[in-house]
Amino acid sequence: MAISPHPINDYLMGTFQAMAGPCEVLMDTLDQQLAKQVLRIAQQEALRIERKFSRYRMDNIIHTINHSAGKPVAVDTETADLLDYADCCFQLSNGLFDITSGVLRQVWHFDGSNNVPDTRQVNALRQKLGWQKVRWQRPWLSLRPGMEVDFGGIAKEYAVDKTVQLINDNVNVNCLVNFGGDIAVTGSRSHGLPWVIGVENPNQQTPLSLQAPGIKLQSGAIATSGDSRRYLLKDGIRYSHVLNPKTGWPVSNGPRSITVAANSCTEAGMLSTMALLQGKDAEKFLNDQTLNYWCEW
Amino acid sequence: MQLKRRHSLKKGVSIRNALTTATCTLLGGGASAQASATEVATPWEFDSALLYYSETDRVTAIEPVIKMRKELNDNEFINFRIVVDSLTGSSASGAVPMPFAQTFTQPSGNKTYTTNANETPLDPSFKDTRVALNAEWEKPLSRTLKSNLGANISKEYDYTSLGASASFSQDVNARNTTLTGGISLSYDIIEPVGGVPLGLTEMPDFADGEKILEDSDDTKTVVDLLFGVTQVINRKTLMQLNYTYGSSRGYLTDPYKILSIIDDTVGANFGEIINQGANDGASYRYEARPDSRAGQSLYWKVVHQFEEDVINASYRYYWDDWGISSHTIDMRYRYQIGGGHYLQPHLRYYVQSEADFYTPYLLDSNNTTVKEASSDYRLGDMTTTTIGLLYGVALTASSEFTFRGELMTQSGDEPSKFGALSNQTLFPDVDAIIVQIGYSFQF
Amino acid sequence: MTTMITTLCFSAIITLATGCSVQTVQPWERDILAQKKMQLNPAPLETYLDEHIYYSKEASSGGSGVGGGGCGCN
Repeated sequence: MAISPHPINDYLMGTFQAMAGPCEVLMDTLDQQLAKQVLRIAQQEALRIERKFSRYRMDNIIHTINHSAGKPVAVDTETADLLDYADCCFQLSNGLFDITSGVLRQVWHFDGSNNVPDTRQVNALRQKLGWQKVRWQRPWLSLRPGMEVDFGGIAKEYAVDKTVQLINDNVNVNCLVNFGGDIAVTGSRSHGLPWVIGVENPNQQTPLSLQAPGIKLQSGAIATSGDSRRYLLKDGIRYSHVLNPKTGWPVSNGPRSITVAANSCTEAGMLSTMALLQGKDAEKFLNDQTLNYWCEW
Repeated sequence: MQLKRRHSLKKGVSIRNALTTATCTLLGGGASAQASATEVATPWEFDSALLYYSETDRVTAIEPVIKMRKELNDNEFINFRIVVDSLTGSSASGAVPMPFAQTFTQPSGNKTYTTNANETPLDPSFKDTRVALNAEWEKPLSRTLKSNLGANISKEYDYTSLGASASFSQDVNARNTTLTGGISLSYDIIEPVGGVPLGLTEMPDFADGEKILEDSDDTKTVVDLLFGVTQVINRKTLMQLNYTYGSSRGYLTDPYKILSIIDDTVGANFGEIINQGANDGASYRYEARPDSRAGQSLYWKVVHQFEEDVINASYRYYWDDWGISSHTIDMRYRYQIGGGHYLQPHLRYYVQSEADFYTPYLLDSNNTTVKEASSDYRLGDMTTTTIGLLYGVALTASSEFTFRGELMTQSGDEPSKFGALSNQTLFPDVDAIIVQIGYSFQF
Repeated sequence: MTTMITTLCFSAIITLATGCSVQTVQPWERDILAQKKMQLNPAPLETYLDEHIYYSKEASSGGSGVGGGGCGCN
């Protein structure tokens, strides 16, 4: 996991692997020492959050919760804050954003194949799904046996925001933090100009709605939900990897990906996720929220 | 179901505010003290070089220099430079060669040296060590305005220079144009060995006569002003245009330089011919330059990158009220060999016209009437040609090694000659080699 | 004569500096210009030593900047 800041344009960039993908930090300085310090902060925070909230580990709070076999679990403050947030988002989205929906992955494997599960399999899983079935009384969380929680839809964006906070608290350098496409900046660049972000656009016919060459970010964050590479294809129907927890089936006719700009990466990520879950009404939803967004259909 | 949801969202107010509040609660209250908050100090950047400069039969200089640079705050830098310059060898005295040996009194007045027949008189007592310190403080005053304040002191046993400078750079036009204004002041004190000779008085014989002194020391002040524009032309090209104005006042003469007095008909120096007789006429006089000088220059530079190679070329036009004007063309082409290695040929061509008071010698007929005169070849019609090659290699991301070798030749046209002067070379070429090694690193 | 040369040189330089088309280079397009070798003065010590040599060997000086300090070599 080499972190070596190298100069790109007139700033330094450092990269490392975390949160299941490439992470990078652009630092508006040419000072290598300072850059290394910033990178260390970012890497430590990304790895900390990954360790703490990854559902693939056996030594963290998520594992404890998911293997509680119906018994209540007392969680720490940070986890409780995230659960409160997830609860709030569940309410605000009318149940579309649901951190218990991860169990659906047991039957849905978005590997580009035609391996679409049958209705019976999906319906069986729906018994183990639904935040409304969870008892959450801070700091106590009780899941029904077989249920799981997963912060996969929040953790990466949350890590970006926490990293930006830490950089702002500890060093005086303008940075852009990019964890796998979820991006936040500590502020505009030192000459007052915005950071410019090129957004991956696999569908070349659809131009980005902002003027080329990319999104200009002076402050705040952007997050992207949706991934055109993760899907199933059967009988000519393209099943997106975005699952509706209420039906257990992928959302249809929605945009392939949505990028949203907001004050924080967590908020941007939540808005883009919720919008994606609206399917064909995604843009209607986004328009109601008065924000800058970029939809790719 | 989807429809219902959409409606509920639509008629319900935007969830944005509620979500923002929730997110703020999440991010605001959380654990934000996880970082290792150790302040890592920025490194010192060192740049060092050792210069060897040697003229055939004349001066040799060895000059180590170290520059240190450190970022104090965001874009705020402090720089220090230390130079030691040790000179040995001989320097042209300004007298012309003669078909006979000439004996000169050294500036100290207590020693003589003799120049062989047909050789250019060189003063062999030329030994000096100079130490110079420079400090600069670069500070951004705003996002687009930068200041640079500097101070320097330079000390030789017969010369002290104190200086200060300030410049301000304003970025405009999305940082594509930078306007610079600068001023520098210096105050120099000259304490020549044997005192400051009164201009155009006789160099005394060793046996008899006293040097006529103006004072034991003298001073000069220099003010330089600069106005510059730097323009980004495109992604690969940068240009700079500067105008400078410099004004010097005070003692601008070289206290060690003399002129030969040549008989109008014989074309020879009085030293051998007249001194032996009853006429104790003057043979050599100390030079005298005006006590003020105002010079201006226009300086243009372009830096352009090709594929990997970079050309750095400049042209300067200089002119002053001493009647000197000059053109300088300087070109460096950085040829990237690959793997961090590069070769950089360097060409420099300089041509100047002589100062109004320049004369290779004084004629006896008017040697008492001139007010200003110098035979210092550096004030004559002259060209300097330099050709060199530098090899550089990046050892790591922050350290680099360089080596360069250059050949410099200064030459000028022979002035009109007659009599005993006819077979003498009054403007011999000055050839020098320049060798420099450089190493930069971080600490 | 000097004045004429001056005027000619002046106009030549102004033409060179402004005659070519200037393109606005945005901050994110400065990858090339940001390199050390693309600085106006990429090797300050070399420049300093050269200027010192030529200051003590020629009658002209300055042009590229202010400051740096004098010496008794001229």
